[in-house]
Amino acid sequence: MQRYQAGDADAFRQLYALVMPKMLGYLGKLTKSRAAADDLLQQTFLKIHRARGAYVAGADPLPWFYSIAHRTFLDEARKNQRAIVRTAGDDVPEVPAGITGESADRSDAPGADPELARAALDALGELPPQQREAVVLTKLEGKSVAEAATIAGTTVGAMKVRAHRGYEALRKLLTSAKKESVA
Amino acid sequence: MSAEQSLDALAAMPDPAASPIGALLEAELGSLAPVTARRPYRQLGMFVVASLVYAALLLGALSPRADLGELPPMWLMGAGAAWFSGFGLATYFALVPKAGAMTPRWRAAIATTTITAVAFVVLGLGVHPDGAHSLHYGMPHLLRGHGCLWLGLATSLAPVVLGAVFLRGAVPVFSRWVAAAIGAAGGCLGGLLLHMHCRIADGPHIGIIHGGGVVVAAGLAALLVPRATDRPYRS
Repeated sequence: MQRYQAGDADAFRQLYALVMPKMLGYLGKLTKSRAAADDLLQQTFLKIHRARGAYVAGADPLPWFYSIAHRTFLDEARKNQRAIVRTAGDDVPEVPAGITGESADRSDAPGADPELARAALDALGELPPQQREAVVLTKLEGKSVAEAATIAGTTVGAMKVRAHRGYEALRKLLTSAKKESVA
Repeated sequence: MSAEQSLDALAAMPDPAASPIGALLEAELGSLAPVTARRPYRQLGMFVVASLVYAALLLGALSPRADLGELPPMWLMGAGAAWFSGFGLATYFALVPKAGAMTPRWRAAIATTTITAVAFVVLGLGVHPDGAHSLHYGMPHLLRGHGCLWLGLATSLAPVVLGAVFLRGAVPVFSRWVAAAIGAAGGCLGGLLLHMHCRIADGPHIGIIHGGGVVVAAGLAALLVPRATDRPYRS
């Protein structure tokens, strides 16, 4: 980051290669679409680039990157007046390709059941943006509630409430989806 | 199919395939200029010194309060220290992040802003010693003392502008709260200047006009400063 601040473009490329998969995965879980996640990723890095002077030497920049991604996602969701970039009916047939960038049925990650992942992603897409983000940060990105609150710019209490409500809503959505599939 | 299992499956999905750097970002990288890293403690020092010099110049252009020698020295020093502490604490929390972090301590900034705003109004209403040369407008003529509000806001101008410059890009979220803390710091500096200059010594004037200056400065800063600090984050 310091080399990048000093004007070394290669340092930025290294940083991008290092952080991009994590950020893209995060944005993919929020948007449910690879194309939308890619677009938000580019916006996020452009903002990081323009605000690089704000970096404090020796600090961990990752929470700052997440905060910028968070803000970019919410700004975009508000701008478009829609929380979910729906893929249903359009020409992106492979879900959760939005997250992985590859077909789910080609995924060979241990423990990655494409059907379950698809169901979780669909249910996440039904949540309001703030609850969705709380669930993604705390349950999928492995952030503590305090870290998630810092990233989202809210209190620990509010983040707990959002994550809990989001998780409960997700549970109900998945249960009803299961009943529908059985019926 | 439990929610936990589904989330676990989603979390276990592999990392996404690489996404190349976009054309716009590549273009900006083509003309990459070096930038200076933010140094919070250095900024804090510059902020405090520049703000105090500005306030001292303003006070020099005005006159010290006529009843200065008639007031209890302990109250004079205590109230001055309180105004200065409000200024220093709000500035510190708004500018200096925790070790290893990048973003300011916004929760502490919120707490400081709220406490200073409320405390100075309440203390001003409740504790207001006077001397033979003090003036008393009282509640019926409260608005006659509106000049103090403008003077307090004028004093807060330099800290607020400096804060907007120093925090550019540093607060991607909760920027309004951090801006409010910068405004509260400016309002406290205004209160300190008024404490040394204004001889109106009734409770409503000190509480509502002097203390209210902190509230107004914090509100105005919350409204205006993010326009500057959030500039790099606009799409």
